[in-house]
This record gives sequence, structure tokens and C-alpha cells, in this order.
Amino acid sequence: MGFMDRLRDAFRKPPAKEVARQRLQLILKYDRAGLPPNAINAVKDAILNALKDFPFIDASGVTINISEGDTDREKIEIEVPVKNN
Amino acid sequence: MADKVICVTSGKGGVGKSTVTGNLATALAAKGYKVVAIDADIGLRNLDLILGLENRIVYDIVHVIEGVCPVEKALVKDKRTKNLYLLPAAQTKDKSAVKPEDLVAIVESLRNNFDFIFIDSPAGIEEGFKTAVTPADTVIVIANPEMASIRDADRVTGLCSAMGKPEPKLIVNRLDPKKVEKGDMLDAEDVVQILGLELLGIVPEDKEMVSYINRGEPAVLSETSIAGKALRNIAERLLGKEVPFLELKAEGEGILNKIKKLFGGT
Repeated sequence: MGFMDRLRDAFRKPPAKEVARQRLQLILKYDRAGLPPNAINAVKDAILNALKDFPFIDASGVTINISEGDTDREKIEIEVPVKNN
Repeated sequence: MADKVICVTSGKGGVGKSTVTGNLATALAAKGYKVVAIDADIGLRNLDLILGLENRIVYDIVHVIEGVCPVEKALVKDKRTKNLYLLPAAQTKDKSAVKPEDLVAIVESLRNNFDFIFIDSPAGIEEGFKTAVTPADTVIVIANPEMASIRDADRVTGLCSAMGKPEPKLIVNRLDPKKVEKGDMLDAEDVVQILGLELLGIVPEDKEMVSYINRGEPAVLSETSIAGKALRNIAERLLGKEVPFLELKAEGEGILNKIKKLFGGT
């Protein structure tokens, strides 16, 4: 790798350890919940699809997250905002 | 006294389980405690090499289970460290030769005669892992600061909790301060944060480790080995003592070297 490549990398790419940290946090979330890695996005797509017929729902604001439930089970939390009038 | 029966596990292979087990057992025995290290990696015997005891093995753990000899007869007395004993794994059998209840029975028969009983777990999360964890009062998870090892460590942690064990303690092994400083490697703090486990110790990458293993001399017996010092500190923490974590810094990394590196030098 030449000097210019190194210099460009230094400015462009986040450090490898930062990438590793973010990837691992996501991977472990799914591993702990026993879900395949893209499960959440698939659920989100299906929900958005089901919600699009309701004009009072703000589809752009739907958020979906895996979080630790009260018991030893993980839970998926979906927030569906209502549109402001 | 702290927990007596300690299982060392990791999920992923090759992260340093046997090396850490052999060294912690040696360090505690060198301090005067009576210690036995059980190699539970049936079929892939390794702990004997770390301790340099491969030529002294006559009987192994499977002989004990089959009733060929009593457990006392299978214990190999360490040649350097008084009070240290090895219960070797069988090399020719497979993992199904030792069932959880077999290992529980062996550990129970040893419990009153020893201050510490280490169990070196096989890699993986199958039968052999479960057998190794079952008798343990406490579990130590070894992780290297890299992706696959951390993921596997988390998996093993989940399985331990499903088995009703207390939350494992973490040893971050083979941390390279140089790579951490460059931003290429996760720091111990990152690993702790990601796994959410109590940190028992950090062992730095040590190029000399391979020569200690080649000679069958545990690094904890050397005053000059930096990894050995880190492992001795971990042994102290197992005794309940508060020992500060080693300050691990990349050596000889002056500003001039950093500039040189940017220009492609080494």
C-alpha cells in the first residue's frame, strides 16, 4: 500500500476495531435472541406492508428493535407512530 | 476461600485454554496450594504438553472411569512444582467416553484433597463442553480480541447460564497493545463491554509463549515473561486479591516511527 492509499484510508475508513465493535454488537443481539441476522428487517418490511393501508399511521417513523425482555427471553419492540394532524 | 472447581472454556478452539489452565494451575501450586488440573479434552490431549508431563503418563481419566485404576493412581505429579497434579485426558478414546456424571464423580472424589481443581474444557459446545462445565463451581471464558472468538465466548456464556452456572468470568488472551493503539484490534474494554462479563485478566500477546510451550515450561514460572506475569496476577485474583491490571503499552512507538509507518516503512 502506497503513501496516498494510507493517507486516504486514514481519513476515510473508520478504524477496524470500531467496525468490529459495531458488527459484534449487532451479531450478538441476534445470536442471543436466536434470530437469523436479517430477521428484523424482514419483520419490519412485512409490518410496513401491512400498515400502508392506514392513512393515520406514519410509516416513515416505524422503528423495530430487539431488546432484553423481563424474563430470560428477548423481545422485539415495534413502535408505530400515529401521524400528527 | 474462593471457588474451588474452575472450568476453563472458550467455545472457539485455539484461543489458549490449555495454556491458561496449565499456567494458572502452576501459579497457584507454586504459591503452596494443592492443585489438580484435569484435561477434559478427550481424544485431543494437550495439557500434558503445556506442563511438560507427556512422558510421565501411565493411566488416564478413561482408565479411572472404566475402573482400571483408582483416580489417585492416574494423577501425574508435576516435575517442577510441588502440590501440582495432572489428570490426563485419554488420547485414543472419543468425547463420549466421559459423561457429565463420570466427571462429577471424579471431581467429588478429589474435592477434599485439593485447594483448586481446574478442568480444561474441549473447544465446541457439544457433549464434551457440557461434561467439562457440569462439575464446575465457577467458569472462566477465554476470548481473544477478535470477532469469531468473541461471538463464541458469548454463545458459551449463554449455555453456561442455561446450565444454571454463575456468570462466567472473562480472560482476554493475546491482546496486542500495538494493534490496539493503531485501532486495528479491539481493546480489552471493548471485549468486556460487548460480552458484559466480569474481567478476570488480560494476557498480552507474547512471542516467547511458543518457546515456553515447546519446552514444556509454564510461563508463570519465568520472571521475565510478560504473559507469565499477567497470568500470575490472574492467579492472585482467583485467591480473592485485588491486583491492578497490567499497563499494556506498545513499545518503541515514538512519533518518528509513526511518521515512518505512514510513509510505508516499518
